[in-house]
Amino acid sequence: MSSLAEYFHTDWAALTLNDWIGLVTTVVVFILMIIAYVYVFHPANREHLEARKYIPLDDDGFETEDKR
Amino acid sequence: MEATEKYNFDVVRWFTIMAVVYLVVGTLVGVIIASQLAWPVLNFDIAELTFGRLRPLHTNAVIFAFGGCALMGTAFYTVQRTCGVPLWSNKLAWFAFFLWNFIIISAVVTLPLGLTQGKEYAELEWPLDILIAIAWLAYSFNFAMTIARRKTSHIYVSNWFFLGMMVMITYLHVVNSMAIPVSLFKSYSIFSGVQDAMIQWWWGHNAVGYYLTAGFLGIMYYFVPKQANRPVFSYRLSVIHFWALMFGYVWLGAHHLQYTALPDWTGSLGAAVSLAMIIPSWGGAVNGMMTLSGAWDKLRTDYVLRFLVMSLAFYAMSTFEGPVMSSKTVNALSHYTDWGIGHVHSGALGWVVMVSAGALYHMIMKLWNTEMYSDKLVNLHFWMATIGAVIYIVAMWVSGIMQGLMWRDYDAFGTLSYTFAESVAAMHPYYVMRAVGGIIFWLGGAVMLYNMIMTIRMASATRGVGAPARA
Repeated sequence: MSSLAEYFHTDWAALTLNDWIGLVTTVVVFILMIIAYVYVFHPANREHLEARKYIPLDDDGFETEDKR
Repeated sequence: MEATEKYNFDVVRWFTIMAVVYLVVGTLVGVIIASQLAWPVLNFDIAELTFGRLRPLHTNAVIFAFGGCALMGTAFYTVQRTCGVPLWSNKLAWFAFFLWNFIIISAVVTLPLGLTQGKEYAELEWPLDILIAIAWLAYSFNFAMTIARRKTSHIYVSNWFFLGMMVMITYLHVVNSMAIPVSLFKSYSIFSGVQDAMIQWWWGHNAVGYYLTAGFLGIMYYFVPKQANRPVFSYRLSVIHFWALMFGYVWLGAHHLQYTALPDWTGSLGAAVSLAMIIPSWGGAVNGMMTLSGAWDKLRTDYVLRFLVMSLAFYAMSTFEGPVMSSKTVNALSHYTDWGIGHVHSGALGWVVMVSAGALYHMIMKLWNTEMYSDKLVNLHFWMATIGAVIYIVAMWVSGIMQGLMWRDYDAFGTLSYTFAESVAAMHPYYVMRAVGGIIFWLGGAVMLYNMIMTIRMASATRGVGAPARA
Protein backbone atom coordinates (compact mmCIF):
# COMPACT_ATOMS: atom_id res chain seq x y z
CA MET A 1 0.00 0.00 0.00
CA SER A 2 1.37 3.38 -0.96
CA SER A 3 1.90 5.90 1.80
CA LEU A 4 -0.85 8.08 0.32
CA ALA A 5 -3.34 5.22 0.34
CA GLU A 6 -2.28 4.44 3.88
CA TYR A 7 -2.78 8.04 4.90
CA PHE A 8 -6.32 8.10 3.57
CA HIS A 9 -7.22 4.58 4.72
CA THR A 10 -10.37 4.57 6.82
CA ASP A 11 -11.62 1.77 9.04
CA TRP A 12 -15.33 2.37 8.39
CA ALA A 13 -16.40 -0.37 10.77
CA ALA A 14 -14.66 1.41 13.62
CA LEU A 15 -16.60 4.64 13.21
CA THR A 16 -18.72 5.48 16.27
CA LEU A 17 -22.09 7.24 16.22
CA ASN A 18 -20.33 10.53 16.93
CA ASP A 19 -17.97 9.91 14.02
CA TRP A 20 -20.90 9.30 11.67
CA ILE A 21 -22.75 12.41 12.86
CA GLY A 22 -19.60 14.46 12.27
CA LEU A 23 -18.99 12.89 8.87
CA VAL A 24 -22.55 13.40 7.65
CA THR A 25 -22.61 16.99 8.97
CA THR A 26 -19.33 17.76 7.19
CA VAL A 27 -20.50 16.37 3.87
CA VAL A 28 -23.87 18.15 4.12
CA VAL A 29 -22.19 21.46 4.94
CA PHE A 30 -19.79 20.98 2.03
CA ILE A 31 -22.71 20.41 -0.36
CA LEU A 32 -24.59 23.41 1.07
CA MET A 33 -21.57 25.62 0.49
CA ILE A 34 -21.41 24.50 -3.14
CA ILE A 35 -25.13 25.29 -3.51
CA ALA A 36 -24.53 28.72 -1.94
CA TYR A 37 -21.65 29.50 -4.30
CA VAL A 38 -23.65 28.41 -7.38
CA TYR A 39 -26.71 30.41 -6.30
CA VAL A 40 -24.82 33.58 -5.46
CA PHE A 41 -22.60 33.66 -8.52
CA HIS A 42 -25.19 32.52 -11.08
CA PRO A 43 -25.66 35.44 -13.52
CA ALA A 44 -29.44 35.15 -13.26
CA ASN A 45 -29.29 36.07 -9.56
CA ARG A 46 -26.92 38.99 -9.91
CA GLU A 47 -29.43 41.79 -10.34
CA HIS A 48 -31.82 41.00 -7.52
CA LEU A 49 -29.01 40.22 -5.06
CA GLU A 50 -27.04 43.36 -5.84
CA ALA A 51 -30.20 45.46 -5.52
CA ARG A 52 -30.10 44.70 -1.77
CA LYS A 53 -26.91 46.65 -1.22
CA TYR A 54 -28.77 49.96 -1.25
CA ILE A 55 -30.76 49.11 1.90
CA PRO A 56 -28.50 51.03 4.34
CA LEU A 57 -28.49 54.05 2.05
CA ASP A 58 -32.25 53.87 1.58
CA ASP A 59 -32.89 53.63 5.30
CA ASP A 60 -32.90 57.41 5.35
CA GLY A 61 -36.42 56.87 4.07
CA PHE A 62 -37.07 55.76 7.62
CA GLU A 63 -35.14 58.83 8.87
CA THR A 64 -36.00 59.75 12.41
CA GLU A 65 -33.14 61.88 13.61
CA ASP A 66 -33.79 65.47 14.45
CA LYS A 67 -33.61 67.70 11.39
CA ARG A 68 -32.80 71.06 12.80
CA MET B 1 -42.52 61.62 13.42
CA GLU B 2 -40.50 62.05 16.62
CA ALA B 3 -37.48 59.78 16.88
CA THR B 4 -38.50 58.65 20.32
CA GLU B 5 -41.93 57.74 18.98
CA LYS B 6 -40.77 55.67 16.04
CA TYR B 7 -37.50 54.05 17.09
CA ASN B 8 -36.13 53.11 20.49
CA PHE B 9 -32.88 55.04 20.54
CA ASP B 10 -32.55 55.85 24.25
CA VAL B 11 -31.23 52.40 25.04
CA VAL B 12 -28.89 52.65 22.03
CA ARG B 13 -27.57 55.97 23.38
CA TRP B 14 -26.72 54.38 26.71
CA PHE B 15 -25.05 51.35 25.11
CA THR B 16 -23.00 53.85 23.07
CA ILE B 17 -21.95 55.86 26.11
CA MET B 18 -21.05 52.77 28.14
CA ALA B 19 -19.07 51.27 25.24
CA VAL B 20 -16.78 54.31 25.19
CA VAL B 21 -16.49 54.33 28.99
CA TYR B 22 -15.57 50.63 29.04
CA LEU B 23 -13.08 51.15 26.21
CA VAL B 24 -11.16 53.56 28.41
CA VAL B 25 -11.49 51.44 31.56
CA GLY B 26 -10.64 48.14 29.86
CA THR B 27 -7.56 49.46 28.06
CA LEU B 28 -6.43 51.21 31.26
CA VAL B 29 -6.36 47.83 33.01
CA GLY B 30 -4.44 46.54 29.98
CA VAL B 31 -1.88 49.32 30.37
CA ILE B 32 -1.51 48.48 34.07
CA ILE B 33 -0.86 44.78 33.47
CA ALA B 34 1.48 45.53 30.54
CA SER B 35 3.41 47.81 32.87
CA GLN B 36 3.47 45.09 35.55
CA LEU B 37 5.18 42.76 33.07
CA ALA B 38 7.79 45.42 32.32
CA TRP B 39 8.17 46.56 35.94
CA PRO B 40 7.01 43.77 38.30
CA VAL B 41 7.25 46.10 41.30
CA LEU B 42 3.91 47.52 40.13
CA ASN B 43 2.23 44.36 41.47
CA PHE B 44 2.74 45.98 44.92
CA ASP B 45 2.52 42.53 46.54
CA ILE B 46 -1.24 43.01 46.74
CA ALA B 47 -2.96 39.84 45.55
CA GLU B 48 -5.98 41.67 44.11
CA LEU B 49 -3.73 43.86 41.95
CA THR B 50 -1.40 41.21 40.61
CA PHE B 51 -1.14 40.35 36.93
CA GLY B 52 -2.89 37.00 37.38
CA ARG B 53 -6.00 38.67 38.86
CA LEU B 54 -6.09 41.74 36.61
CA ARG B 55 -5.41 40.01 33.29
CA PRO B 56 -8.83 38.31 33.13
CA LEU B 57 -10.37 41.59 34.27
CA HIS B 58 -8.71 43.29 31.28
CA THR B 59 -9.89 40.68 28.78
CA ASN B 60 -13.43 40.61 30.19
CA ALA B 61 -13.60 44.41 30.26
CA VAL B 62 -12.50 44.92 26.66
CA ILE B 63 -14.24 41.90 25.14
CA PHE B 64 -17.51 41.74 27.02
CA ALA B 65 -17.91 45.21 28.54
CA PHE B 66 -16.66 47.35 25.64
CA GLY B 67 -17.28 44.83 22.86
CA GLY B 68 -20.65 43.74 24.26
CA CYS B 69 -21.99 47.28 24.63
CA ALA B 70 -20.69 48.19 21.16
CA LEU B 71 -22.33 45.12 19.63
CA MET B 72 -25.64 45.56 21.44
CA GLY B 73 -25.81 49.28 20.69
CA THR B 74 -24.94 48.93 17.01
CA ALA B 75 -27.18 45.87 16.52
CA PHE B 76 -30.19 47.61 18.07
CA TYR B 77 -29.44 50.76 16.02
CA THR B 78 -28.98 49.08 12.66
CA VAL B 79 -31.80 46.55 12.96
CA GLN B 80 -34.31 49.33 13.54
CA ARG B 81 -33.02 51.42 10.65
CA THR B 82 -32.69 48.59 8.13
CA CYS B 83 -36.04 47.03 9.05
CA GLY B 84 -37.96 50.30 9.44
CA VAL B 85 -39.54 49.29 12.74
CA PRO B 86 -38.82 49.99 16.42
CA LEU B 87 -37.43 47.29 18.68
CA TRP B 88 -39.83 44.44 19.39
CA SER B 89 -39.58 45.29 23.09
CA ASN B 90 -37.98 48.43 24.47
CA LYS B 91 -38.33 47.04 27.99
CA LEU B 92 -36.46 43.87 27.06
CA ALA B 93 -33.68 46.00 25.56
CA TRP B 94 -33.36 47.94 28.81
CA PHE B 95 -33.42 44.65 30.73
CA ALA B 96 -30.48 43.42 28.63
CA PHE B 97 -28.66 46.73 29.19
CA PHE B 98 -28.99 46.69 32.97
CA LEU B 99 -28.29 42.96 33.35
CA TRP B 100 -25.22 43.17 31.07
CA ASN B 101 -23.85 46.07 33.10
CA PHE B 102 -24.60 44.28 36.37
CA ILE B 103 -22.56 41.32 35.09
CA ILE B 104 -19.69 43.67 34.20
CA ILE B 105 -19.70 45.21 37.67
CA SER B 106 -19.81 41.71 39.17
CA ALA B 107 -16.76 40.79 37.10
CA VAL B 108 -14.93 43.85 38.42
CA VAL B 109 -15.58 42.56 41.95
CA THR B 110 -15.11 38.81 41.57
CA LEU B 111 -12.09 38.57 39.26
CA PRO B 112 -9.67 40.61 41.43
CA LEU B 113 -10.85 38.49 44.39
CA GLY B 114 -9.62 35.43 42.51
CA LEU B 115 -13.05 33.92 41.90
CA THR B 116 -12.57 32.25 38.55
CA GLN B 117 -13.32 29.10 36.60
CA GLY B 118 -9.85 29.30 35.10
CA LYS B 119 -11.18 29.02 31.54
CA GLU B 120 -9.78 31.65 29.22
CA TYR B 121 -12.32 34.29 28.12
CA ALA B 122 -14.86 32.42 30.29
CA GLU B 123 -13.45 33.08 33.75
CA LEU B 124 -16.66 34.20 35.46
CA GLU B 125 -18.15 31.73 37.92
CA TRP B 126 -21.34 29.80 37.31
CA PRO B 127 -23.96 32.23 38.74
CA LEU B 128 -22.64 34.94 36.41
CA ASP B 129 -22.52 32.48 33.52
CA ILE B 130 -26.25 31.92 33.95
CA LEU B 131 -26.88 35.68 34.01
CA ILE B 132 -24.78 36.08 30.84
CA ALA B 133 -26.96 33.50 29.10
CA ILE B 134 -30.14 35.32 30.21
CA ALA B 135 -28.89 38.76 29.11
CA TRP B 136 -27.61 37.38 25.81
CA LEU B 137 -30.88 35.61 25.07
CA ALA B 138 -32.86 38.76 25.94
CA TYR B 139 -30.71 40.72 23.47
CA SER B 140 -30.86 38.04 20.77
CA PHE B 141 -34.59 37.34 21.06
CA ASN B 142 -35.40 41.04 20.90
CA PHE B 143 -33.20 41.42 17.82
CA ALA B 144 -34.74 38.40 16.07
CA MET B 145 -38.30 39.50 16.85
CA THR B 146 -37.56 42.98 15.53
CA ILE B 147 -36.46 41.40 12.26
CA ALA B 148 -39.60 39.26 12.24
CA ARG B 149 -41.70 42.46 12.31
CA ARG B 150 -39.67 44.26 9.61
CA LYS B 151 -41.28 46.35 6.87
CA THR B 152 -38.68 45.37 4.29
CA SER B 153 -38.84 42.12 2.32
CA HIS B 154 -35.13 41.39 2.58
CA ILE B 155 -32.97 41.04 5.69
CA TYR B 156 -29.87 43.16 5.09
CA VAL B 157 -26.56 41.32 5.39
CA SER B 158 -25.40 43.13 8.54
CA ASN B 159 -28.38 41.62 10.34
CA TRP B 160 -27.36 38.17 9.12
CA PHE B 161 -23.94 38.61 10.68
CA PHE B 162 -25.45 39.80 13.97
CA LEU B 163 -27.90 36.88 13.98
CA GLY B 164 -25.16 34.36 13.20
CA MET B 165 -23.17 35.69 16.11
CA MET B 166 -26.15 35.48 18.46
CA VAL B 167 -26.98 31.88 17.59
CA MET B 168 -23.40 30.63 17.78
CA ILE B 169 -22.39 32.51 20.94
CA THR B 170 -25.46 31.16 22.74
CA TYR B 171 -24.49 27.62 21.78
CA LEU B 172 -20.79 28.12 22.57
CA HIS B 173 -21.32 29.87 25.89
CA VAL B 174 -23.79 27.30 27.20
CA VAL B 175 -21.68 24.27 26.27
CA ASN B 176 -18.36 25.74 27.41
CA SER B 177 -19.84 26.91 30.72
CA MET B 178 -21.35 23.55 31.70
CA ALA B 179 -20.03 22.94 35.19
CA ILE B 180 -20.87 21.32 38.48
CA PRO B 181 -21.18 23.94 41.25
CA VAL B 182 -19.71 22.98 44.61
CA SER B 183 -20.45 26.32 46.27
CA LEU B 184 -21.83 29.73 45.34
CA PHE B 185 -18.52 30.82 43.80
CA LYS B 186 -16.83 27.56 42.91
CA SER B 187 -17.56 25.06 40.19
CA TYR B 188 -15.77 22.47 38.12
CA SER B 189 -16.12 21.91 34.40
CA ILE B 190 -18.05 18.78 33.44
CA PHE B 191 -15.33 18.09 30.90
CA SER B 192 -11.90 16.84 31.82
CA GLY B 193 -8.46 16.34 30.35
CA VAL B 194 -8.01 16.87 26.66
CA GLN B 195 -11.78 17.09 26.09
CA ASP B 196 -11.85 20.06 28.45
CA ALA B 197 -8.98 21.64 26.51
CA MET B 198 -10.76 21.04 23.21
CA ILE B 199 -14.03 22.53 24.50
CA GLN B 200 -12.09 25.47 25.94
CA TRP B 201 -10.50 26.33 22.60
CA TRP B 202 -13.61 25.47 20.62
CA TRP B 203 -15.14 28.28 22.68
CA GLY B 204 -11.99 30.43 22.79
CA HIS B 205 -11.39 30.65 19.09
CA ASN B 206 -15.05 30.87 18.23
CA ALA B 207 -15.45 33.77 20.65
CA VAL B 208 -12.94 35.40 18.31
CA GLY B 209 -14.67 34.06 15.20
CA TYR B 210 -18.30 34.74 15.94
CA TYR B 211 -18.21 37.48 18.56
CA LEU B 212 -15.15 39.55 17.62
CA THR B 213 -15.35 38.86 13.90
CA ALA B 214 -18.91 38.06 12.76
CA GLY B 215 -20.51 40.58 15.10
CA PHE B 216 -18.12 43.35 14.11
CA LEU B 217 -18.51 42.43 10.44
CA GLY B 218 -22.19 43.18 11.00
CA ILE B 219 -21.04 46.62 12.12
CA MET B 220 -18.75 46.94 9.10
CA TYR B 221 -21.41 46.01 6.53
CA TYR B 222 -23.74 48.73 7.78
CA PHE B 223 -21.45 51.56 8.83
CA VAL B 224 -18.85 51.51 6.02
CA PRO B 225 -21.48 52.00 3.28
CA LYS B 226 -23.38 54.45 5.47
CA GLN B 227 -20.39 56.61 6.37
CA ALA B 228 -19.02 56.48 2.80
CA ASN B 229 -22.52 57.10 1.44
CA ARG B 230 -21.90 54.38 -1.13
CA PRO B 231 -23.35 50.87 -1.40
CA VAL B 232 -21.15 47.95 -0.44
CA PHE B 233 -18.91 46.89 -3.35
CA SER B 234 -20.52 43.47 -3.90
CA TYR B 235 -23.61 42.22 -2.12
CA ARG B 236 -23.08 38.75 -3.57
CA LEU B 237 -19.61 38.60 -2.06
CA SER B 238 -21.06 39.59 1.31
CA VAL B 239 -23.48 36.65 1.14
CA ILE B 240 -20.65 34.20 0.43
CA HIS B 241 -18.56 35.92 3.13
CA PHE B 242 -21.33 35.26 5.63
CA TRP B 243 -21.96 31.59 4.86
CA ALA B 244 -18.27 30.70 4.47
CA LEU B 245 -17.54 32.38 7.81
CA MET B 246 -20.41 30.64 9.57
CA PHE B 247 -19.55 27.19 8.23
CA GLY B 248 -15.78 27.57 8.40
CA TYR B 249 -14.94 29.23 11.70
CA VAL B 250 -16.31 26.50 13.93
CA TRP B 251 -13.51 24.11 12.93
CA LEU B 252 -10.60 26.32 13.92
CA GLY B 253 -10.28 25.89 17.70
CA ALA B 254 -8.12 22.79 17.50
CA HIS B 255 -5.24 24.79 16.04
CA HIS B 256 -4.66 26.17 19.54
CA LEU B 257 -3.69 22.69 20.67
CA GLN B 258 -0.97 21.67 18.24
CA TYR B 259 1.65 19.35 19.77
CA THR B 260 -0.51 18.46 22.78
CA ALA B 261 -2.43 15.35 23.88
CA LEU B 262 -5.10 16.20 21.30
CA PRO B 263 -5.05 13.73 18.39
CA ASP B 264 -2.67 14.98 15.72
CA TRP B 265 -5.25 14.97 12.93
CA THR B 266 -7.50 17.35 14.86
CA GLY B 267 -4.89 20.09 14.97
CA SER B 268 -4.03 19.49 11.32
CA LEU B 269 -7.70 19.80 10.36
CA GLY B 270 -7.97 23.01 12.40
CA ALA B 271 -4.92 24.42 10.60
CA ALA B 272 -6.17 23.36 7.16
CA VAL B 273 -9.54 25.03 7.63
CA SER B 274 -7.79 28.08 9.16
CA LEU B 275 -5.76 28.48 5.98
CA ALA B 276 -8.91 28.04 3.87
CA MET B 277 -10.55 30.83 5.89
CA ILE B 278 -8.14 33.36 4.39
CA ILE B 279 -10.32 33.30 1.26
CA PRO B 280 -13.65 34.50 2.78
CA SER B 281 -11.87 36.79 5.24
CA TRP B 282 -9.98 38.58 2.51
CA GLY B 283 -13.08 38.55 0.33
CA GLY B 284 -14.85 40.46 3.10
CA ALA B 285 -11.96 42.86 3.68
CA VAL B 286 -11.67 43.62 -0.02
CA ASN B 287 -15.43 44.02 -0.21
CA GLY B 288 -15.35 46.63 2.54
CA MET B 289 -12.37 48.50 1.13
CA MET B 290 -13.60 48.47 -2.46
CA THR B 291 -16.78 50.14 -1.23
CA LEU B 292 -14.64 53.28 -1.36
CA SER B 293 -13.61 52.57 -4.95
CA GLY B 294 -13.71 55.86 -6.78
CA ALA B 295 -14.16 57.83 -3.59
CA TRP B 296 -10.87 57.42 -1.78
CA ASP B 297 -10.60 61.19 -1.54
CA LYS B 298 -13.20 61.04 1.23
CA LEU B 299 -10.45 59.75 3.50
CA ARG B 300 -8.75 63.14 3.38
CA THR B 301 -11.58 64.85 5.20
CA ASP B 302 -13.70 62.12 6.81
CA TYR B 303 -11.84 61.04 9.93
CA VAL B 304 -14.59 58.61 10.96
CA LEU B 305 -14.22 56.81 7.65
CA ARG B 306 -10.50 56.54 8.31
CA PHE B 307 -11.23 54.41 11.37
CA LEU B 308 -13.46 52.10 9.35
CA VAL B 309 -11.02 51.65 6.48
CA MET B 310 -7.99 51.21 8.75
CA SER B 311 -9.94 48.55 10.64
CA LEU B 312 -10.34 46.60 7.40
CA ALA B 313 -6.60 46.76 6.77
CA PHE B 314 -5.97 45.29 10.22
CA TYR B 315 -8.74 42.72 9.64
CA ALA B 316 -7.03 41.57 6.44
CA MET B 317 -3.64 41.46 8.12
CA SER B 318 -4.71 39.53 11.21
CA THR B 319 -6.84 37.05 9.23
CA PHE B 320 -3.76 36.22 7.19
CA GLU B 321 -1.42 36.09 10.16
CA GLY B 322 -3.69 33.80 12.21
CA PRO B 323 -3.88 30.96 9.67
CA VAL B 324 -0.14 31.16 9.08
CA MET B 325 0.45 30.85 12.84
CA SER B 326 -1.91 27.87 12.99
CA SER B 327 0.15 25.82 10.54
CA LYS B 328 2.25 23.29 12.39
CA THR B 329 5.60 24.56 11.14
CA VAL B 330 5.03 28.15 12.23
CA ASN B 331 3.11 27.07 15.33
CA ALA B 332 6.16 25.17 16.57
CA LEU B 333 7.88 28.53 16.85
CA SER B 334 5.03 30.89 17.66
CA HIS B 335 2.94 28.99 20.22
CA TYR B 336 3.22 30.10 23.86
CA THR B 337 5.23 33.16 22.79
CA ASP B 338 4.36 36.87 22.68
CA TRP B 339 3.66 36.56 18.96
CA GLY B 340 0.25 35.21 19.97
CA ILE B 341 -0.35 38.32 22.10
CA GLY B 342 0.71 40.50 19.15
CA HIS B 343 -1.66 38.65 16.83
CA VAL B 344 -4.60 38.96 19.20
CA HIS B 345 -4.01 42.68 19.61
CA SER B 346 -3.69 43.34 15.88
CA GLY B 347 -7.21 41.94 15.70
CA ALA B 348 -8.46 43.54 18.92
CA LEU B 349 -6.91 47.01 18.68
CA GLY B 350 -6.67 47.27 14.92
CA TRP B 351 -9.89 45.59 13.84
CA VAL B 352 -12.39 45.48 16.72
CA VAL B 353 -11.69 48.84 18.37
CA MET B 354 -11.13 50.71 15.10
CA VAL B 355 -14.34 49.51 13.45
CA SER B 356 -16.24 50.13 16.69
CA ALA B 357 -14.82 53.63 17.06
CA GLY B 358 -15.91 54.46 13.51
CA ALA B 359 -19.41 53.12 14.18
CA LEU B 360 -19.66 54.81 17.58
CA TYR B 361 -18.61 58.22 16.22
CA HIS B 362 -21.20 57.80 13.44
CA MET B 363 -23.91 56.91 15.95
CA ILE B 364 -23.00 59.70 18.37
CA MET B 365 -23.57 62.26 15.62
CA LYS B 366 -26.80 60.61 14.49
CA LEU B 367 -28.26 59.86 17.91
CA TRP B 368 -27.61 63.32 19.33
CA ASN B 369 -28.20 64.98 15.97
CA THR B 370 -25.06 67.03 15.98
CA GLU B 371 -21.53 67.16 14.63
CA MET B 372 -18.69 66.02 16.86
CA TYR B 373 -17.47 68.61 19.35
CA SER B 374 -14.06 68.48 17.67
CA ASP B 375 -13.14 66.85 14.37
CA LYS B 376 -9.49 67.49 15.17
CA LEU B 377 -9.82 65.31 18.26
CA VAL B 378 -11.35 62.54 16.13
CA ASN B 379 -8.30 62.76 13.88
CA LEU B 380 -6.00 62.85 16.91
CA HIS B 381 -7.71 59.72 18.25
CA PHE B 382 -7.28 58.00 14.88
CA TRP B 383 -3.55 58.59 14.79
CA MET B 384 -3.04 57.71 18.46
CA ALA B 385 -4.96 54.48 17.98
CA THR B 386 -3.05 53.60 14.81
CA ILE B 387 0.40 54.46 16.14
CA GLY B 388 -0.28 52.88 19.54
CA ALA B 389 -1.54 49.65 17.96
CA VAL B 390 1.41 49.41 15.57
CA ILE B 391 3.97 49.97 18.36
CA TYR B 392 2.22 47.32 20.47
CA ILE B 393 2.06 44.78 17.66
CA VAL B 394 5.62 45.27 16.42
CA ALA B 395 6.96 44.94 19.99
CA MET B 396 5.16 41.65 20.44
CA TRP B 397 6.20 40.32 17.04
CA VAL B 398 9.88 40.92 17.76
CA SER B 399 9.56 39.70 21.32
CA GLY B 400 7.61 36.59 20.34
CA ILE B 401 9.86 35.48 17.52
CA MET B 402 12.91 36.07 19.70
CA GLN B 403 11.33 34.02 22.50
CA GLY B 404 10.55 31.16 20.14
CA LEU B 405 14.06 31.15 18.71
CA MET B 406 15.71 31.31 22.15
CA TRP B 407 13.58 28.53 23.59
CA ARG B 408 14.43 26.05 20.89
CA ASP B 409 18.06 26.92 20.31
CA TYR B 410 20.51 24.24 21.42
CA ASP B 411 24.24 23.67 21.15
CA ALA B 412 26.32 20.88 19.60
CA PHE B 413 25.78 18.74 22.72
CA GLY B 414 21.99 19.01 22.49
CA THR B 415 21.81 21.32 25.50
CA LEU B 416 19.49 24.34 25.46
CA SER B 417 21.50 27.48 24.71
CA TYR B 418 19.42 29.75 26.94
CA THR B 419 17.71 29.37 30.29
CA PHE B 420 14.08 30.45 30.50
CA ALA B 421 15.14 33.33 32.79
CA GLU B 422 17.50 34.59 30.09
CA SER B 423 14.64 34.69 27.59
CA VAL B 424 12.53 36.64 30.12
CA ALA B 425 15.34 39.19 30.57
CA ALA B 426 15.63 39.55 26.79
CA MET B 427 11.95 40.46 26.59
CA HIS B 428 12.23 43.49 28.87
CA PRO B 429 12.81 46.22 26.22
CA TYR B 430 9.86 44.93 24.21
CA TYR B 431 7.60 44.83 27.26
CA VAL B 432 8.46 48.49 27.87
CA MET B 433 7.75 49.22 24.21
CA ARG B 434 4.42 47.38 24.45
CA ALA B 435 3.45 49.40 27.54
CA VAL B 436 4.26 52.63 25.67
CA GLY B 437 2.13 51.53 22.69
CA GLY B 438 -0.68 50.62 25.07
CA ILE B 439 -0.52 53.99 26.82
CA ILE B 440 -0.76 55.82 23.49
CA PHE B 441 -3.73 53.67 22.47
CA TRP B 442 -5.42 54.22 25.85
CA LEU B 443 -4.92 57.98 25.65
CA GLY B 444 -6.59 57.90 22.23
CA GLY B 445 -9.62 56.26 23.87
CA ALA B 446 -9.60 58.93 26.58
CA VAL B 447 -9.65 61.60 23.84
CA MET B 448 -12.69 59.87 22.35
CA LEU B 449 -14.45 59.81 25.73
CA TYR B 450 -13.77 63.53 26.24
CA ASN B 451 -14.96 64.33 22.71
CA MET B 452 -18.13 62.27 23.23
CA ILE B 453 -18.95 63.96 26.56
CA MET B 454 -18.43 67.42 25.09
CA THR B 455 -20.52 66.51 22.02
CA ILE B 456 -23.43 65.32 24.15
CA ARG B 457 -23.17 68.40 26.39
CA MET B 458 -23.12 70.63 23.32
CA ALA B 459 -26.16 68.87 21.84
CA SER B 460 -28.04 69.03 25.14
CA ALA B 461 -27.27 72.71 25.57
CA THR B 462 -28.58 73.40 22.06
CA ARG B 463 -31.90 71.69 22.79
CA GLY B 464 -32.24 72.63 26.41
CA VAL B 465 -30.93 70.70 29.37
CA GLY B 466 -31.68 67.00 29.26
CA ALA B 467 -33.96 67.20 26.25
CA PRO B 468 -33.70 64.18 23.97
CA ALA B 469 -33.21 64.35 20.22
CA ARG B 470 -36.38 65.14 18.31
CA ALA B 471 -37.39 64.39 14.78
